[in-house]
Amino acid sequence: MIPTFQDYLNVAPIIIVSATALLEIVFQIIFKGFKKYVNIFSILGLLISIYFAIINFDKVSMSFSNMVFSGKYASFFEILFCIIGILTILQSSTIQKYYSINKIEYNVLILISIVGMMVMSAGADLISIFIGLEIMSICFYVLAGFARNQIIANEASLKYFLLGAFATGFLLYGIALIYGTVGTTNIIKIAQHYPIALSLDLHLLGLILLLIGLAFKVALVPFHMWQPDVYEGAITNVSGLMASGGKTAAFASFLLIFSIPLAAGNNNLIEIVSVLAALSMIVGNIFGLVQQNIKRMLAYSSIAHTGYILVGIIATNNFGNHGALFYLVVYSITSVGAFGVASILENEFGKNLNINDYSGLSQKNKFLAFAMSVFMFSLIGIPPFAGFVGKYYLFAAAIQRDLTWLVILGVLTSIVSLYYYLRLIVYMYFRDPENQNNIIVTNDFKIAISFSTIVVILFGIYPSSLFSVIRYIFNIY
Amino acid sequence: MIPLNYYLLFAAFLFSVGVVGVLIRRNAIIVFMCIELMLNSVNLTFIAFSAFMGNAIGQMFVFFVMTVAAAEAAVGLAIIIALFRNKKTINIDQINLLKW
Amino acid sequence: MLNLYDYIFYFFAIVILGSSFVVVFSRNIVHSAFALLFTFFGVAGFYVLLSADFLAITQLLVYVGGILVLLLFGVMLTNNIVNVEIKSGTMQTLPASLIAALIAGLLCGIFYVSNWYLVPTTPELLNNTTAVAIGYAFITTWILPFEVASVVLLVAMIGAVIIARREKAPEVE
Repeated sequence: MIPTFQDYLNVAPIIIVSATALLEIVFQIIFKGFKKYVNIFSILGLLISIYFAIINFDKVSMSFSNMVFSGKYASFFEILFCIIGILTILQSSTIQKYYSINKIEYNVLILISIVGMMVMSAGADLISIFIGLEIMSICFYVLAGFARNQIIANEASLKYFLLGAFATGFLLYGIALIYGTVGTTNIIKIAQHYPIALSLDLHLLGLILLLIGLAFKVALVPFHMWQPDVYEGAITNVSGLMASGGKTAAFASFLLIFSIPLAAGNNNLIEIVSVLAALSMIVGNIFGLVQQNIKRMLAYSSIAHTGYILVGIIATNNFGNHGALFYLVVYSITSVGAFGVASILENEFGKNLNINDYSGLSQKNKFLAFAMSVFMFSLIGIPPFAGFVGKYYLFAAAIQRDLTWLVILGVLTSIVSLYYYLRLIVYMYFRDPENQNNIIVTNDFKIAISFSTIVVILFGIYPSSLFSVIRYIFNIY
Repeated sequence: MIPLNYYLLFAAFLFSVGVVGVLIRRNAIIVFMCIELMLNSVNLTFIAFSAFMGNAIGQMFVFFVMTVAAAEAAVGLAIIIALFRNKKTINIDQINLLKW
Repeated sequence: MLNLYDYIFYFFAIVILGSSFVVVFSRNIVHSAFALLFTFFGVAGFYVLLSADFLAITQLLVYVGGILVLLLFGVMLTNNIVNVEIKSGTMQTLPASLIAALIAGLLCGIFYVSNWYLVPTTPELLNNTTAVAIGYAFITTWILPFEVASVVLLVAMIGAVIIARREKAPEVE
């Protein structure tokens, strides 16, 4: 079918973000002083994209011969990725001064990685999901090594690249086997072959290989080895983008692909995914205990949270799906904020990232200390903050689905995680400062962090505001 | 006539050879070559299914896999060269500032 | 009874098997790179047997003409050929072999026992060249992935330039 104008209108948010990135490359050559305005230009592009996503919000349809979804589910994630992008760019304004980063290329790569995330989370065909995933991954390989005169960044980039490409091999083999059993790569057409297709070993093996490929991208244990290293080696704000946007996009496509086979009740698949979730919760939280570097600590915390989100997805009931989406939103905003605070304190590449460097932060800068403690409380899941509501929904869903052992494990590991999150808060509030680094907080950064803090508190007090939206959109097919 | 199984078994074997290479070799460029072997075996699987089903989707998919493989090759070698410039080695067991 | 088609299949199979072993196990990185050339050729041969003629040409252009040349550049840029021997070792051989044997066994076992769901028993090979159909499909049904793939190539180009170029003097703002 030849695409119509309506098709292009349906994917307008994606087109606008790509166009912004392309225009930045062109404007760099045409206008000499463009460098100063590039951040504003990117944010403007993302805001226009949000506007179009809101316009499309009510119209659910499939465009380009059933290649992508638009409306509701897709729009929801488009808006979320744009917000993450805006926050990341605002927070990067400080860091760009420190290591003479080429601002324009940095912005272009962030914008194109957002295009990849959008394509991934809107994909109605395995090909769209695959290409979106690759756009995002290639941007991340480059962004991880962006501080290219630092050996640590080169190593992070190489590790991420080799393991990412290795995982792509598994992902593709999985897609090939799925295609071989049902003769199509369209998610909806594949779903029409269930549950017969699920009884085929070959199809199941295809799904498992696809699962391994995605598990590498979201860093589920035992496919998590790259994550702490990459988060440590990458520029801190980029780590924040990977932890929030990268994971959310991978989970969005995970839900699209796996919600039907999991709901169809194939026990082998459910068992495998449950074991991955359980291992992620255990390993993430236990290794988190011994980390001294804040970025590595947040990386292990991120692995643990992938496990929690997966618990909700395994449950495959309304509670679980809504909870998983709610938690993805909250976790994204929280981790962008937490990595943002870390980036402000790190005023030279790789310095001031130790937990000790956070001692007495409340005496040096009350605002940062308050924001960081809000994020930590939300990650623990303490009642007035949004993390609690999310965890409650995820665990309630798992109990409904008779996965009590996962819930017990989740609660126990949450208690373990109390130690390392609270340790940071104790250092910030009850210790005297060890060094007198001056902390420069720009206005851009203040706006971004205030926004994240307010969102985390607001969704904790009024979770129904977000849940009503999620309930409305949760109508994937 | 060669049956479909032969192609698939052959592709599975090639994939496994690639996996062995990724896991045992030290040199980052050879690891990357082994990843290319894996991708080639995937392409072969796609085309075998496509030919035996008389369905063009598999062939179309392979074009995109090739595009992505080319893009990854460009980025990957750039990363390897950047690392070599700073560190003078591309053996992945000597790349140990970050704990694996 | 073997016919010509079968002989060609076995010929390419042996070429690919032999060369892929050289890629993985050769101690000399240049030998690996050249063995990879034969693997790519062999796979292209299989594509022709499977009546994917246009893809076979693309395979030669992209893999042999592009990726392999890039790899050889990588080898030359990262090895000081004059002074250092171009050798590279192996590591963790046993666990790796076990993992690979597991994967191979699982795949082969399942392929062996599978009864091909939805797969016709008689192969329905296309008689004409595939280039026209592929070109048409690219600009109609597959236009979105086609356009998005251009973004992949663009970002790869930008990324490779950013990562690999030499450091210039720090800019003054």
